[in-house]
Amino acid sequence: MNNPIKPIPCKILEIKKETALEYTFKVETDIKPDHGQFLQLSIPKIGEAPISVSAFGDGWLDFTIRSVGKVTEEIFAKRPGDVLFLRGPYGNGWPIEQFRGKNVVVIVGGTGLAPVRSMLRVFAEDPGFAKSVTLIAGFKNEEGIVFRGELESWRDKFNTYYTLDRDKIDNWNVGFVTEYVSKVPFGDFGDNYEVIIVGPPPMMKFTGMEAAKCGVPDEKIWVSFERKMSCAIGKCGHCRIDEVYVCLDGPVFNYTQAKYLVD
Amino acid sequence: MGYKVSFEQANKIFDKLWDKYDIYAPKRFEGRGRYSDTDIVRYDKVNTVEEIVFDEKSDYPAKEVLAPISQTLFYFTEDEYRESKCSTRPILIFMRPCDINAMHHQEKIYLGNGGYTDLYYERMNERVKIVMMECTEGWDTCFCVSMGANKAEDYAVAVRCENGNLLVDIKDSELDAYFAEAPAADFKPDYIEKNEIELQIPEIPNREVLAKLKAHPMWEEYNKRCISCGSCTVACSTCTCFTTTDIIYHENGEAGERKRTTASCQIKGFADMAGGHTFRTTAAERMRYKVLHKFHDYKARFKDYHMCVGCGRCTSRCPEFISITATVNKMSKAIDEIMASENN
Amino acid sequence: MNHDIDIKKTRINCFRQSKVPGEFMLQMRVPGAVIDAKYLKVVMEIAEKWGNGTFHLGTRQTLNAPGIKYENIPAVNAYIKDYIHDVDQEMCGCDMEADETGYPTIGARNVMACIGNSHCIKGNCNSTELARKIEKLVFPSHYHIKVAVAGCPNDCVKANFNDFGIMGIYKMDYNYDRCIGCGACVDACEHHATGVLSLNKDNKVDKDTCCCVGCAECVLACPTSAWTRNPKKLYRVTLGGRTGKQNPRAGKLFLNWVTEDVLLGMFANWQKFSAWALDYKPEYLHGGHLIDRAGYKTFVKHIFEGVEFNPEAKMADDIYWAENEQRANIHVMPLSKHKTAGPQE
Repeated sequence: MNNPIKPIPCKILEIKKETALEYTFKVETDIKPDHGQFLQLSIPKIGEAPISVSAFGDGWLDFTIRSVGKVTEEIFAKRPGDVLFLRGPYGNGWPIEQFRGKNVVVIVGGTGLAPVRSMLRVFAEDPGFAKSVTLIAGFKNEEGIVFRGELESWRDKFNTYYTLDRDKIDNWNVGFVTEYVSKVPFGDFGDNYEVIIVGPPPMMKFTGMEAAKCGVPDEKIWVSFERKMSCAIGKCGHCRIDEVYVCLDGPVFNYTQAKYLVD
Repeated sequence: MGYKVSFEQANKIFDKLWDKYDIYAPKRFEGRGRYSDTDIVRYDKVNTVEEIVFDEKSDYPAKEVLAPISQTLFYFTEDEYRESKCSTRPILIFMRPCDINAMHHQEKIYLGNGGYTDLYYERMNERVKIVMMECTEGWDTCFCVSMGANKAEDYAVAVRCENGNLLVDIKDSELDAYFAEAPAADFKPDYIEKNEIELQIPEIPNREVLAKLKAHPMWEEYNKRCISCGSCTVACSTCTCFTTTDIIYHENGEAGERKRTTASCQIKGFADMAGGHTFRTTAAERMRYKVLHKFHDYKARFKDYHMCVGCGRCTSRCPEFISITATVNKMSKAIDEIMASENN
Repeated sequence: MNHDIDIKKTRINCFRQSKVPGEFMLQMRVPGAVIDAKYLKVVMEIAEKWGNGTFHLGTRQTLNAPGIKYENIPAVNAYIKDYIHDVDQEMCGCDMEADETGYPTIGARNVMACIGNSHCIKGNCNSTELARKIEKLVFPSHYHIKVAVAGCPNDCVKANFNDFGIMGIYKMDYNYDRCIGCGACVDACEHHATGVLSLNKDNKVDKDTCCCVGCAECVLACPTSAWTRNPKKLYRVTLGGRTGKQNPRAGKLFLNWVTEDVLLGMFANWQKFSAWALDYKPEYLHGGHLIDRAGYKTFVKHIFEGVEFNPEAKMADDIYWAENEQRANIHVMPLSKHKTAGPQE
């Protein structure tokens, strides 16, 4: 019998320190995820956690971990050649083909950047993919900035609005991402745009409301949810919201559905 | 075929069955109840008919046999997860119609949801032959008739316990052979047709009404009354939620187990995430989440029926005397209110 | 009125002298504090016919009728014959024959009890039934003893301020596989008891068995019956508690995890011990003082004569009572005033 929750050992090929708190792990694997799908990362003794894929290619994939929680503390002790356990991919990713040729607006809060990162890389590496990319990224404080190097490199590729909640640092704005939604020239986009919002639940809610104020219809908004999961295959119940299982039906949802989901 | 056997004869048949089958039934654990000098009745292996409690509803549901409260999924060493093994002996489970229906409710999640099959549930489920315990009277918290879970025809054997005898109806030919020497009797099980409680499950017509119901003040009552202990979901015949935990055999060792353990959406921390986010921080929100899952969300997803068989164990086990049927009635009233204000 | 009354005799007869000359208050025993409600009519009849029409709930759970005239005592005694018969002789099985003369002794005070597990969700034992069994062993007697039975270590009946304070407890069994790691027991133990439970890294529960008071709050809180009471009923006993002007003090932990057999064996020896301690001359002296006089170790030797302990049982090797602070010098006195136990010259 096939056991869908059996973790598969994967060799670590490379570990890259993004910042003091973030490492990117490149592992050897045949897993071929879609952008926005997730994996279950397993560390014996510690347990499992859902994790976003930040890049992938033939026979390998990258994921970036920020040091929060038990799993990630343990994983920071790993070295190239060591083994990690993965299973997946799970869920529905971004409908990236639907974004082709469009003005794509990506609004992220905090670690919400992780599930859109691989897709942003596609936009950065293939400038013809999207007509334009607007990236609004907000973080609590300087310490909370994830993928900072990459964010900086995207400044001349995307229309960027980077902001910290309260602190002022060079080249960064102050305030919440919601304050920058109205700066997006939705009027110039006509009908040819899509909006992606990922972040903590309150951030997604208020950003969605702000987008609606700018005349963005629900069906043009896409969100990705993050929830506790023990199985990722629709059994454990932790990620259920109403009749929806985030692991099966998400993590990516169209806002027409997402706006009605109440945890 | 129908038979009538005395307990003595039945025990002899049990002895023979034991060579091949594990027999599970509701069993009394004296003095093990919540309060001093009270008992609990829960599922366990039995050797004799006398151990089976026919005249009381078990405190805990039959699901504990198929989906044990804790279960080892994998044994691990530093570079391998090895699946736990499971006996292949077939199982006979004595279950009332509510528990049989509940099994099918659980199958939708464990065997179907999202197209994934839960190996651990499947391998138990495949071993099961149902012995249906006739249930015609019910108890004062039962509402199986309202939930359409008062009948179950897909049994291998049906039994009635009557004056120290068992009347049995056998559909399974393999089990029929064990009764070769037993006197034949004309027996088909009866079912309960009316409970003391009749429950009307309200229809929630659209998502706008659902959104208003979620925000309705009716739930606030449970912030004061519910202690979020999870007794209701543990006692629930249909709840399936679990959490996985890794345990290690020695503090600094590399070998251990990945276990899964029954979880409850009513207990704080059910939705806690690694980064510190959580959902449903109040008892009222957790109650709303549970009740709507049982009486709306599950059916919205799987279509056929609600995620409740009316066994009433949640009501019976609640230490704070919160009745599920009273709660659903309050929900009906709230929906009526919402609809009335929409029409005005 | 008659001014020649032997008030010591009326006291032994359970009629307490009033400040109003010639008046007395009857104290009717209610061992275990539960009786059929019909007996309320008995005390009502007494209060209305011979008393002053009021009724006092006795502080040791007796039914009291104040304002009874001395000359009516014989009539009252005749009237309570049936009550004494029903309650003490029949219900408790005391070795006595109820007659027209009323209560034979006051020495052993009414054995108090909380409502216990016949009603209370926290109760671990049937305190009423146990109190009645003790009544049978200590009453009637001229040797003084105050006993109370609490259903659980919450001790609502304040057993701890009796010579012997009994509390119903259990050893708990933990079913590892039924535990879902919810932590309800940990919180309950922390809030209601001694905080001996903690969640471990495997999300299961660790217990400091040393400090567990056996109250079963963990069982009450457990949603899965992972915690259950081991059905063997056990008791804790505190010793030497008392109220009073002279030297009030709380009892000290004396016995832990003992069975009812041990308890009843011990109470069966009380009269013998008291008689020895007082050299077979009963006096109006509270039981705790006899233990003080004999010394703890001597007391233990007498009180457990022939008693066999259950395997779980623990007993204090010694007890050091702490006197109420302002009376800490109470034992410091001229040698001539020292009291001695055993055979007197």
